[in-house]
Amino acid sequence: MVMKHALSALALALAMPAFAQQAAAPAAPAAPAAAAAPAAEPPPAWKQGIDGTTQPVTLHPFAPKMTGVAAKDLKMSTLKVPPGFKVEVWVDGVPEARSLAIGQKGTVFVSNRNAKNVYAVIEKDGKREVKTILKGQNSPNGIAMIGDTLFVAEHDKITRYDNIESNLDNPKGELVVDGLDPTNGPGHFWKFLAAGPDGKLYFNIGSPQNITMPGYNQAAILRVDPKTKQMERVATGVRNSVGMAFHPTTNKLWFTEHARDWLGDDGPNDELNVLTKEGEDFGFPFCHQGDTPDPEYGKYNTCAMSTPPVLKLGAHVAPLGIRFYTGNMFPAEYKNNMFMARHGSWNRSTKQGYDVMRVVLDDSGKVTKYEPFLTGFLLDDKGDPPMWGRPVDVQVIGDGSLLVSDDYNGVVYRVSYAK
Amino acid sequence: MTIFKSVQSVAAAQLAAAAFLIFPVFAQAGDVEAGRARAQTCVACHGPGGNSPTSSVPTLAAQPEQALATMLYQFREENRKNPVMSPFAANLSNTEMNDLAAYFESEKRLAPKHQTKPANLELGPGLAKKYNCTQCHGPELKGLQHIPNIRGQQHDYLLAQLQAFKAMKRADMDGNMTSASTGLKDEDIVVLADYIAGLGN
Repeated sequence: MVMKHALSALALALAMPAFAQQAAAPAAPAAPAAAAAPAAEPPPAWKQGIDGTTQPVTLHPFAPKMTGVAAKDLKMSTLKVPPGFKVEVWVDGVPEARSLAIGQKGTVFVSNRNAKNVYAVIEKDGKREVKTILKGQNSPNGIAMIGDTLFVAEHDKITRYDNIESNLDNPKGELVVDGLDPTNGPGHFWKFLAAGPDGKLYFNIGSPQNITMPGYNQAAILRVDPKTKQMERVATGVRNSVGMAFHPTTNKLWFTEHARDWLGDDGPNDELNVLTKEGEDFGFPFCHQGDTPDPEYGKYNTCAMSTPPVLKLGAHVAPLGIRFYTGNMFPAEYKNNMFMARHGSWNRSTKQGYDVMRVVLDDSGKVTKYEPFLTGFLLDDKGDPPMWGRPVDVQVIGDGSLLVSDDYNGVVYRVSYAK
Repeated sequence: MTIFKSVQSVAAAQLAAAAFLIFPVFAQAGDVEAGRARAQTCVACHGPGGNSPTSSVPTLAAQPEQALATMLYQFREENRKNPVMSPFAANLSNTEMNDLAAYFESEKRLAPKHQTKPANLELGPGLAKKYNCTQCHGPELKGLQHIPNIRGQQHDYLLAQLQAFKAMKRADMDGNMTSASTGLKDEDIVVLADYIAGLGN
C-alpha cells in the first residue's frame, strides 16, 4: 500500500525535476525567484529520486561517533545471541570500524569509510592494542588479504602492502590499479574488497546515484588480477554491493546488494545474490528484487533478462559484510553457514536491521533459513537514533569465534560458543 | 603517505567494564565536569560557556555532543585545518574530546547579537527548506547527533563554512553537507548566513 502510493507519486515527481533542471540552467534567477521555486535545483545525491511531493522533517542519515564509545559505556546487556553463545567487546577505540581482514599471523585489520585510516589490532604482552598503520587514505573501506599481502581499496584505487604483518610500523604501498571512481562525485564510491579463490581481487563500483542509468563500469562488480593488473567486469546491474564472500566448497561468489530508495517503506527488498556465470546481469536500474520493474527505467528492459536474488532480505535493512562460517568452535550445524551484518535503515519510517543474520544453505546452494543471530542494537524503531550500534562486517578468526565490527561506536565484538 | 603509530591499551577499558554495572546505562559518553575543567583554554576564544563574542569564531554552547566531538576529531585528524584551532586539537584524546563536547552541550546558548536584515528574514525560511537545511538540522535548525546546532550561530563563521562547503574545501562527516551545498547560489549563501545567525531561541 505504501509502495503503490509512493509509486504513483514518484512517477509524477520524476517527470518534473528533469524539466525544471533544464529550464533553470541557462538563466540564473534572482534570489527571490529562486526562493519561490523549490524544485528548481537538482537534489543532493542521497535525495535523488525522492517523492517530490513530501519533505520529511529531520530525516537524516546516522553518523558514526568518530571519537568512539568506550566499552564501559556500551549497552551490552541488551544484546542477544542464541543459547550457548556469548557476545563481548573484543576491542574498543577503533574509530569507525568498518571492514575486517585477517592476516596469516592472526593480525586483525580494520578499515574506515568516512575516516581515513586503516588499523591493525595486535596482541602485545597479553594485551590487545589498536595501531594505526595507514593514514590519509581516501575512503579505504575495502581491505582483503592474499597470502601475506594486504590489499586496500580506496574510492578510486587499490594498493598492495606486501609482507604486511612484518611491516606494521612502515607499510610500503604499491599501486595495483586506479581510475576506479568514474564520477569523482557523491554517490556509492566506497569499495568492498574480496580475495577470490582464483587469486584475483573482486570489488564493487556502485551506482553514482540512487537511481540512474549507469555507465559501463558502474553498478557493477569487477575483478583485477594483481599480477597482470588486468581488470574484468564480472557482474552488472548491481546497484551497490558492500559485502562479498566465496562459498568454501562451491567457490561461487555470493554478494549483498542495497536496493534503491524512495519507493516506499516496504520495497524494494535488499538482495542476497550469487554469481553463477561471468558477466551476469542482476537487474539495476531496470528491475528490482527480481520481480519489480522500476517505475521509470522499467520501460527499457524487463525483469526476465536479469538474475533474481537468491534471497530477498527485507527493505532498507542495509546488508553489508558476509562470511561463511569455516571455524571449529560453533556447533556442527553452523558449518558453511553464512553470517551477514545488517547496518540498518535510516530513511524507513519504522527502522529495521542493525543485527547479524544467519543464513543456512543446503548442499545445492538453496537458502533454507534466514534468521537473527546477534540482535539487540535496535532499541526503538521510531527513535532518533533508533539504535546504539551498527554491525558492518563479520570475520571468523583462528579460534573459530566470530568478530563483528560496529562503525557507530568504533568497536569490534566477539561472539563465541561454549557447550 | 604519512604513517604514524597510535597504540591504545584496552586494559583500562576492561577494568572499567566492571564499573558499567554501577553507572546508568544511558550515561553520556563524555563527562561534563571533566570537560568544564578542561574548557578554560577554549573559552578564551569561544567565550564564557562557549557563547562566542566574535563573529568569525563559532559558538559552542548547546552544540550536540556528537557534533562537537566530531569537529574536534576532524581538527585532530587534520581533515579541518585552522592555524589557531588545529594546535589545540592536536593532542586531545578521544575521551578528552568527549568530555569537552559533553560540557559545551550542557551550556545554554545565549540570544544572538546579530540582527537579520528584514528582507532576509522573509527569504530565509523558504531557502532553508529549499536547500534541505531543515531536512537534517531540523525545523528549528538546532541539530542533533552529529548534525550541528546552527540556530543563532556566529554570522561570519556560518558564511565561511557555507562557502567552503560549496567549494568542496570543508571536511564533511559523510558527504551530505557537501552534497547539499553544491547547488547553493552565492547570493543565497549570504541570505542564509544572515538569516540563521539572527535566529534566537
